[in-house]
Amino acid sequence: MILKSDYHSLKSFTGKIRKSGNKVFSLLMGLVCTFALAAPTTSLKTVTAIEAFQSAITGTITDASGVPLPAANVVIKGTTTGAAADFDGNYSIQASPGDVLVFSYTGYNTKEITVGTSNVINVVLEEGLALDEVVVTGYTVESKRETTAAVSIVSAEELAAIPSGNVEQQLAGRVAGVTVITNGQPGTQSQVRVRGYGGFGGNQPLYIVDGVPIQSIDFLSPDDIATTTVLKDAAAASIYGARAANGVIVYTTKQGSRGNRKTNISINIQSGITDPNVAGSPKMLNPQEMAEWTHIAYRNNAAANGTAPQYTHPQYGSNATPTFPDYLHADGANGVSASDINLAQIQANYEADPENVFLIRPNLAGTNWYREITRVAPTSRVSVGFDGGNENGRFYVGLNMQSIDGILLSNSQDRYTARFNSEFDLAPWLSIGENFQVTYNSVVGQSGGNGGQGIAADESEVLSAYRMPTIIPVFDDFGSYASTRAAGFNNPRNPVRRLVQDRGDDKAFSASAIGNFYALIKPFEGFTFRSSIGGFYYNFNNLDYNYRYLGDSEPQASYSFGEGSEYGFSWTFTNTITYEKLFGEKHKIKVLVGQEAIEGTNTPVAAPRGRRIQGSGINPFSTDLDFVTMSAVQSPVVQSFIRKGVNFSSLFGQFQYNYDERYYISAVVRRDGSSVFGANNRFGTFPAFSGAWRVTGESFMDNQNLFQDLKIRAGWGQMGNSNNVDPANQYSLAASALDNTFYPIQGQNSGANEGFATSRIGNPDAKWETSTTTNIGFDATIIDNHLDIEFDWWKRDTEDLLFVVPLAGVTGNFASAPSRNVGAMLNRGIDLRVVYKGNFTEDFSFEFAVNNTFLKNEVVAFAPGIDFLDVGGQRGINPTRNQIGKPLSSFFGYDVIGYFESAADVAASPAQDGAGIGRFKYRDVDGDGVITPDDRTYLGDPVANYSGGATIDLKYKDIRMEMFWNWSTGLEIFNQSKWYRDFFGTFEGSAKGIAAFNSWTPELGNNASAPIWESAANLSTSGAANSWYVEDGSYARLQRLAFTYSFSQLVNNSNTLSKFEIGLSANNIWTITGYSGLDPVVGGNADVNFGVDVGNYPVTPSYLINVNIGL
Amino acid sequence: MCALVLGVSCSDEFLEVPPAGSLGDAQLGTADGIEALLIGTYSALNGVFGNRFEGPNHWVTGSIMGGEANKGTDAGDYADINPIQRYEVNPTSGDLNNLWRGRFEGIARANRVLATITANPDALIAADAKRISGEARMLRGHFYFDLKKHFDKIPVFDETLPAEEVILVPNSGDAWAQIEADFQYAYDNLPAVTDAGRVNKWAAAAYMGKAKLFQGKFSEAITWFDDVIANGVTSNGLKYALLDNYAQIYNAENDNHAEAVMDVESANNTGSVQNANAFDDLNYPYNTGPDGPGNCCGFFQPSFSLANSFRTQANGLPLLDESYNDPANEVQNAFFWVIVDGNDEADFVQDAGPLDPRIDHSIGRKGIPYLDWIDHPGQAWIRSFPYAGPYSPKKYIYYKSQENSFTDGSSWTRGYATMNYTIIRYADVLLMAAEAEVEAGSLTKALDYVNQVRARAANPDFWVKKSDGSGDNAANYNISEYTAADFGSQDAARTAVRFERKLELSGEGHRFFDLVRWGVAAETLNTYLQYESQYLVTKFGGASFTAGKSEKYPIPQAQIDIQGSDVLSQNPGY
Repeated sequence: MILKSDYHSLKSFTGKIRKSGNKVFSLLMGLVCTFALAAPTTSLKTVTAIEAFQSAITGTITDASGVPLPAANVVIKGTTTGAAADFDGNYSIQASPGDVLVFSYTGYNTKEITVGTSNVINVVLEEGLALDEVVVTGYTVESKRETTAAVSIVSAEELAAIPSGNVEQQLAGRVAGVTVITNGQPGTQSQVRVRGYGGFGGNQPLYIVDGVPIQSIDFLSPDDIATTTVLKDAAAASIYGARAANGVIVYTTKQGSRGNRKTNISINIQSGITDPNVAGSPKMLNPQEMAEWTHIAYRNNAAANGTAPQYTHPQYGSNATPTFPDYLHADGANGVSASDINLAQIQANYEADPENVFLIRPNLAGTNWYREITRVAPTSRVSVGFDGGNENGRFYVGLNMQSIDGILLSNSQDRYTARFNSEFDLAPWLSIGENFQVTYNSVVGQSGGNGGQGIAADESEVLSAYRMPTIIPVFDDFGSYASTRAAGFNNPRNPVRRLVQDRGDDKAFSASAIGNFYALIKPFEGFTFRSSIGGFYYNFNNLDYNYRYLGDSEPQASYSFGEGSEYGFSWTFTNTITYEKLFGEKHKIKVLVGQEAIEGTNTPVAAPRGRRIQGSGINPFSTDLDFVTMSAVQSPVVQSFIRKGVNFSSLFGQFQYNYDERYYISAVVRRDGSSVFGANNRFGTFPAFSGAWRVTGESFMDNQNLFQDLKIRAGWGQMGNSNNVDPANQYSLAASALDNTFYPIQGQNSGANEGFATSRIGNPDAKWETSTTTNIGFDATIIDNHLDIEFDWWKRDTEDLLFVVPLAGVTGNFASAPSRNVGAMLNRGIDLRVVYKGNFTEDFSFEFAVNNTFLKNEVVAFAPGIDFLDVGGQRGINPTRNQIGKPLSSFFGYDVIGYFESAADVAASPAQDGAGIGRFKYRDVDGDGVITPDDRTYLGDPVANYSGGATIDLKYKDIRMEMFWNWSTGLEIFNQSKWYRDFFGTFEGSAKGIAAFNSWTPELGNNASAPIWESAANLSTSGAANSWYVEDGSYARLQRLAFTYSFSQLVNNSNTLSKFEIGLSANNIWTITGYSGLDPVVGGNADVNFGVDVGNYPVTPSYLINVNIGL
Repeated sequence: MCALVLGVSCSDEFLEVPPAGSLGDAQLGTADGIEALLIGTYSALNGVFGNRFEGPNHWVTGSIMGGEANKGTDAGDYADINPIQRYEVNPTSGDLNNLWRGRFEGIARANRVLATITANPDALIAADAKRISGEARMLRGHFYFDLKKHFDKIPVFDETLPAEEVILVPNSGDAWAQIEADFQYAYDNLPAVTDAGRVNKWAAAAYMGKAKLFQGKFSEAITWFDDVIANGVTSNGLKYALLDNYAQIYNAENDNHAEAVMDVESANNTGSVQNANAFDDLNYPYNTGPDGPGNCCGFFQPSFSLANSFRTQANGLPLLDESYNDPANEVQNAFFWVIVDGNDEADFVQDAGPLDPRIDHSIGRKGIPYLDWIDHPGQAWIRSFPYAGPYSPKKYIYYKSQENSFTDGSSWTRGYATMNYTIIRYADVLLMAAEAEVEAGSLTKALDYVNQVRARAANPDFWVKKSDGSGDNAANYNISEYTAADFGSQDAARTAVRFERKLELSGEGHRFFDLVRWGVAAETLNTYLQYESQYLVTKFGGASFTAGKSEKYPIPQAQIDIQGSDVLSQNPGY
């Protein structure tokens, strides 16, 4: 029956996709059609293998209104035997009469049914306790009811709701205890932190995908994800031991369910646009205003200098009232009138040398450069999932195509994934399975370090839009890009050209495969041996074309081309034995022992085992894309690198016991060895203990109605960390480097001889960082199952923190200094999740969920004698000082107490370099009567004290409304974009912002929003980090507002349709913040240097239509 | 594969992952390894950390601070230099920290060469051991000299001290003793003729003379300089001599010339512009388009005072009475014409007074041919006229004909040129010798040395000519040699010799250190500030040189923070 219609529907869908011209996708679709057709055949062949003493119990799991609950869980009580329902709520499980089946589903009350004579058991679950969700740790699966640890679960639906190139972005506000700082670039990496910042780097959580540890999950399609579990404290995470100190996020991908049944097909389509929000971007002076304020600055300069004003700008004339020339630039002449030039001659010159001759008129209406570099960007994702199975096997196939254009020109992500998960029983005691995904992922035009995470700290093209004067048009009269060859506008470069020309042809893509094969052996009741071998392979290629362009004041004089290629491969081999038994009805034990070996894996500071080759060169004979290669360029430079990755070898064990589901204890120990440490300190052992008490299980609670469930939990444990250690940390080495060990020793003018220098000082004694976590919490369900509360108080002390103690200059510090175990960090916080749900009427239900994250982070120690660590900075502004007693990445500088109002004020105030009327007046912190670097002080920090998210979910009959907010507060941002925009004297002539209107005047006094408008640049103006840049970074953002309509009538009347929903959603449409920059969510070069906003890539509104079809 | 076996017995082996792409001590303790470590030491001559203060030409700490030039550009660009050029530098300056780090890195590299030779006595044949250790010690002496002249109080140690003790060495060491020992060893052990890029024994001798001069040991200096002048050859075997054409000293096509006593090699096509003159990449006229070199970024603009210093009297001699800044003697320029007098730049009238011809080899002035580029157009090539004045740098600038052949076009600006920067050139040796003779020898010899330098400058064949093809001189050049009468007294001779250093070596990074060792820095530079600040008010208004403090650069606070103030003590006043 179904087969035919399946095929039919597939075929027609494939056709649609083909029409859209997407060849790769249709190819994959073709493959899957074959797979889907083949699967039921397999089931027919193996149907005879069913054991006699067990029989397949099948049925449907639905909610009270009959809506199927896909992926609902069923387990045989007291065992680990379980199954998940398919998308139609159908399940199948092998069970014997007398077995108790436990049915559970996220957000619903668990139900237990004893198997009787009937092989069909249909179950209706009622909404209620959140405590019965499934906790997937990667090694084990358990019910949240049983866990003694701090874990959070995110529904797959939440991750898929908002388009993003990387599902990690969607954790923002979804999990209490997790903070996420991200930006608007499709496919960007984000700063994801579980319970604060454990160390000075490498603080990202460990990701586990189907048991394979991995650093990035940018390849995962949200529609393939079945469960997301965040392991937050030692009691939960330390099963991952040495790599778990920063939390573990465990993903499992979808799987079919057993049962002789039709193959389900689910189709999810999401399509829409992202709006760059031009209206919400900072306002710049228009050409007239800019000219006037240039002359105001000249007058202010003259007043400060006691001279007569000189109007010297090459474009605005020499009179007090500025005028505009007919041409900003005409073949070498600047600021000329039409009568002064010979257009015919210039035209002829242009034809003779088009790269070099420009004719630029002023754009008196003003160019909005932010508008010019952005676009309304289309976004779309199409997923098709097939899941099926028979009594002896199950499979899931997921195909996903995602294309997200960034709001910035030439910035996009295209990703195609195909996932094949399957599991088969070879014998009653032996199952084998695999999870496998191939991915093509292309991210073009991304900026910023750490895979885009650092963009806010960079002088990106977003910043360029605020440096390019509004008077300059995008194109000149010849159609060439116009730029600062026109004199008087300093050195910005036309960002439209940079994006279109220099990025338009660039390529960057990876092809990767991740997966594992596993075998499950269950020789007798309660005993499971699982062996899994998994791996990750990737290949990455990039091409980078940069065109010669002579129209900038600082031109790009050479065409340059670069390309690179790399691969990496790592594998994970895991063997676990679990034994689970219920003694005497009430004593339940569960024992896990395991071994794991990982070879060549990447860490936050090391690439996986593999190689990279890259080359670059300049000025090929022709710039034809079909011509340019490394063989065609001049001065080619080719480099290649060997990468070793990191090896781990581990043993671990877990013991869990509970008495009558009232008293729970759990102990975990893991011993890890890592190749990053020397032989003497290679291994670390990390224990954790936790316990819980289900108060509501006690008889004295029988007569109360307040608590439907109350469990108190406490845990203590230690976890290791080696994320932040270079794999070569233990070795002392010498290396050559083109830029600083080569020398032309023969006196030649071309080429240099290779030399060597000390490149690394080794520390063979480095050992594991240790993070000790204490967690106390409770889970409660009250008010007739309407209100769930999960509360955790936690404390995390990190010791032996690996810190690169700076080498003294006198010893030579070109070499990398080794990490030493000297630092310490403290994080404390409260995670609180509250869910309130119920019904207004029978047809009208609601759910409110709020996640709250309270965090206090504090550096306790760097190294003996070191009280602070200064890092980075742009343009002489170095605002970040990590210091003991303060959070990471704190801001540091002078405290502005106002502006000098008069010469007398200057004279009466503590001596300050550059002091002058209308300039910053700093606080004399040490009171010595002179402003020195010692007067710099703590000015704030970018670590949010409180962040969270709230979901409001309303359902009325077939209509559903969802709203999701997230927020952060108690943090500051150092808005360095003001340095470029709000001082006349920084790159004088470049574009300036409307802060000019409120720059200091005697009338405005301390109400001014910027210092006096003038050219000077010194300590008292633009020359130092100070509190004027520091802004409150609090915000609340309506991240999602969605309406969905379910065509339930249509579904009920259809034989084939099991789901049909159409939804509209608007994302990021409202951000409440006092922050003046583009986006209050500011990342950077985490974790010792973030929250500095040089020019962020904003997250802007997007509008989507969603169609979900189940067949 | 052993990890596939359950158990931990093999995990030690599994967890041994050797590093890739680097070498350990074993590979470097060979003849080739030691030679490669030596090349790594040479590589530190132009800096290691990519900071422009690390450049060997000290364009900020030597020239700008000596009043020969100002930062140039505009106020906001590389604003870290703003307080430095106003003598308001503070110990937290990252640039000075990088200078400190870069030079000590050079010392560390030299020490590693020497320690590796000691540890591997059989690796080298005796001649190579002498040569390589001589080169390493010569370079180490140079790095120490650089540190000494900037920071004065520095820690001093050699290759025998282990790293854990190096950090405990206080900055009260006898740097001169170490420097002299290194130069002496180099002189005794180095060959005269070797690869053109290497230091030779005569470079050591000349540098030794310079070290003696800096210490005021004039008669010892004379001995060394006499030897150098009589016998010195470059490492490629050329007898030391002044080039006929002053401008050719700075031409990449002429690298390793007879005047190059010690220089820093520069090359293109090396895979990194750091091997070209990356430290000078900002020091070109601004926004020139294809009419001029570099285009970036308008830094290092010669000062009014420097230009005025080239004013000569009718007899072709400079205004030694310091009247060159008097209104009557100031060199007319586009800034005065436009900013001070409010005229239209197009009507600019060139200065007609007598000038030392070296002015137009040293300073880019409006209306004068800029090498083989166009005539300097004035304001169009200056980033901010009111902020930094009318002049452009002109030494160590590449020619139009050399674009991409003697420049490296692989980075963000065109301005990576490949002429060698000369740390000590023969004219410098002659003038240092003249100085020593004035103080402790013969005024006649001093006169002779100075006149050798002036005679070269006086050769009209190599004066800058107008670009119109007429063959006429571009300005009213007038230069003559001193007479014995001009050197009639020690004071007069001293004044003349010192002034000649200013004219001959302007923009080459020496001036500040000369003024400091002469003990005239405060007086000279406050006069300079007073004069310049009447024009460049925003830049220099209110700035002053603090006697007893500003002569020395502060010990970088970052280093004091690492090593402790008990080990590194700060210079007075900071």
